[in-house]
Amino acid sequence: MAKEPVRVLVTGAAGQIGYALVPMIARGVMLGADQPVILHMLDIPPAAEALNGVKMELVDAAFPLLKGVVATTDVVEACTGVNVAVMVGGFPRKEGMERKDVMSKNVSIYKSQASALEQHAAPNCKVLVVANPANTNALILKEFAPSIPAKNITCLTRLDHNRALGQISEKLNVQVSDVKNVIIWGNHSSSQYPDVNHATVMTPSGEKPVRELVKDDAWLNGEFITTVQQRGAAIIKARKLSSALSAASAACDHIRDWVLGTPEGTWVSMGVYSDGSYNAPAGVIYSFPVTCKNGEWTIVQGLAIDEFSRKKLDLTGQELTEEKELAYSCLS
Amino acid sequence: MAKEPVRVLVTGAAGQIGYALVPMIARGVMLGSDQPIILHMLDIEPATEALNGVKMELVDAAFPLLIDVVATTDAMVACKGVNIAVMVGGFPRKEGMERKDVMSKNVSIYKAQASALEKQAAPDCKVLVVANPANTNALILKEFAPSIPEKNITCLTRLDHNRALGQLSERLKIHVGQVKNVIIWGNHSSTQYPDVNHATVTPTNSEEKPVRSVVADDNWLNTEFITTVQQRGAAIIKARKLSSALSAASAACDHIRDWVLGTPKGTWVSMGVYSDGSYGIQSGIIYSFPVTCDKGQWSIAQGLKIDDFSREKMDATAKELVEEKTLAYSCLN
Repeated sequence: MAKEPVRVLVTGAAGQIGYALVPMIARGVMLGADQPVILHMLDIPPAAEALNGVKMELVDAAFPLLKGVVATTDVVEACTGVNVAVMVGGFPRKEGMERKDVMSKNVSIYKSQASALEQHAAPNCKVLVVANPANTNALILKEFAPSIPAKNITCLTRLDHNRALGQISEKLNVQVSDVKNVIIWGNHSSSQYPDVNHATVMTPSGEKPVRELVKDDAWLNGEFITTVQQRGAAIIKARKLSSALSAASAACDHIRDWVLGTPEGTWVSMGVYSDGSYNAPAGVIYSFPVTCKNGEWTIVQGLAIDEFSRKKLDLTGQELTEEKELAYSCLS
Repeated sequence: MAKEPVRVLVTGAAGQIGYALVPMIARGVMLGSDQPIILHMLDIEPATEALNGVKMELVDAAFPLLIDVVATTDAMVACKGVNIAVMVGGFPRKEGMERKDVMSKNVSIYKAQASALEKQAAPDCKVLVVANPANTNALILKEFAPSIPEKNITCLTRLDHNRALGQLSERLKIHVGQVKNVIIWGNHSSTQYPDVNHATVTPTNSEEKPVRSVVADDNWLNTEFITTVQQRGAAIIKARKLSSALSAASAACDHIRDWVLGTPKGTWVSMGVYSDGSYGIQSGIIYSFPVTCDKGQWSIAQGLKIDDFSREKMDATAKELVEEKTLAYSCLN
């Protein structure tokens, strides 16, 4: 017997990331090839015609898993009954813009959307914030939707996590699926810390530490880190547009692993409400290594943090604390 | 033990449809979730940086099925060893443009690419032409790649087929998965004939019924339904200010998947294929027919009754294709 449909909301659905994301959701990439979905798509009134064009295309694609489409500029209608909310809507970063430049525009958006979600989403709705500044938008959403459990509000650092896996796979000339357990600590910004100290590669002679195989600590502590940190800007430079394809794909990975569980022995990176683990500041949305089971994420504890890493974890934590203050000052 | 990777070429990969298509291919939508892929992406020189940006994003997405990516502006490199070629590259139709407006630009592209494919592709390479005018581009490709079996060269009308299913599902307020066996006859243009005379709908907890009897509105089926499907491309452009990339990419995956993995029992799909004279359609053009697929081969569904109304429409779209063929050849001289 077929499963009951799950309602998935995508905000900013008429934009670039939305356009890449909705066919992935409709094909089962996010929740599995046997999970019917009802898509809710929200965008702002100037995008109403384009949004309707996306809805038309979803009908035209005759997706077997897609049981319905709600395309609206009304945030209440968009949020009603949703089980998963992917918040893509916001101001996209353009070439030359820093993430902080767009913060004030976005925090007021997230304050109002918090309210709508809290009042209308299904109980236990899982929320993923993608729009930058992702961590702080998620924090604002959490602060203004107090009846949504804090653990249900997350932000996307899976893109950075996947980028780190990709860089290691290219450096070692191995399949990316053989690399695992990198960690993205902190903010989805240029202060993020891509940490390979616990990452491994599957080789013909078993799992080996990445550091041991790469044999180039200078690269791992230097260029590797900056490449991952600045990858977003590199994509914009090449495409003249934000990374929609890989962001959408990472959003699917984030939700899928959260809902369906991480593979045994593997963790992923998610921006989650910090409980102070690893001495990260509490009360911000901070990216940690997590495993997922039965629809819940759990921070992987007990990983050794060396001095180099400690500094980087603290730096990105500090930036998040500053962003929090800046965000609150924008709202006053 | 994992399957050997299949090499899939996408031309025009830096464009809108390419950008929608490559993540679908990399996730297994085209060939199945257990089929590893090597993606070949081709575009023109001015798009080099953008194409490299797409390659970077494919690396960044850490797709488990994606074994490698070849991104190039060199057609010979792009075509080397490919098992499947999805030809998206060409001039996109913009608001106000007719398909014929872009024909002359595209036929010379397809002549050149025919040559590269013929020399470099793997034996039995399956070719799907998407770029408009799709049927005629595919015909040109076939004519200038004589050593590629003509049955291996097809064009996309699955988008129109899926659009027709979608329109019926909206009309009947039923899930699109419960509608099947529409037919798109002819040209992927405004003369295409979306035919529901053999289409069926299976309502929940009920048996399969003919669409005509359930819709109970022949006038709509013979007029507005047809024109809506025929002109849907323009309607999407009007709404989005851009071509239908998402649904075109999805249809391209459906076309290849059903061709390679087979159509479900009792179901046919629409594909633009080299006409063998079936249903009184002249051979020597690429014409969309109802087909079933098995073991990597398509076969035209034969013996379907064609009424007078349908006959006229099927002939009209064939006539347009013959005219396009003449026009295409004149462009090449």
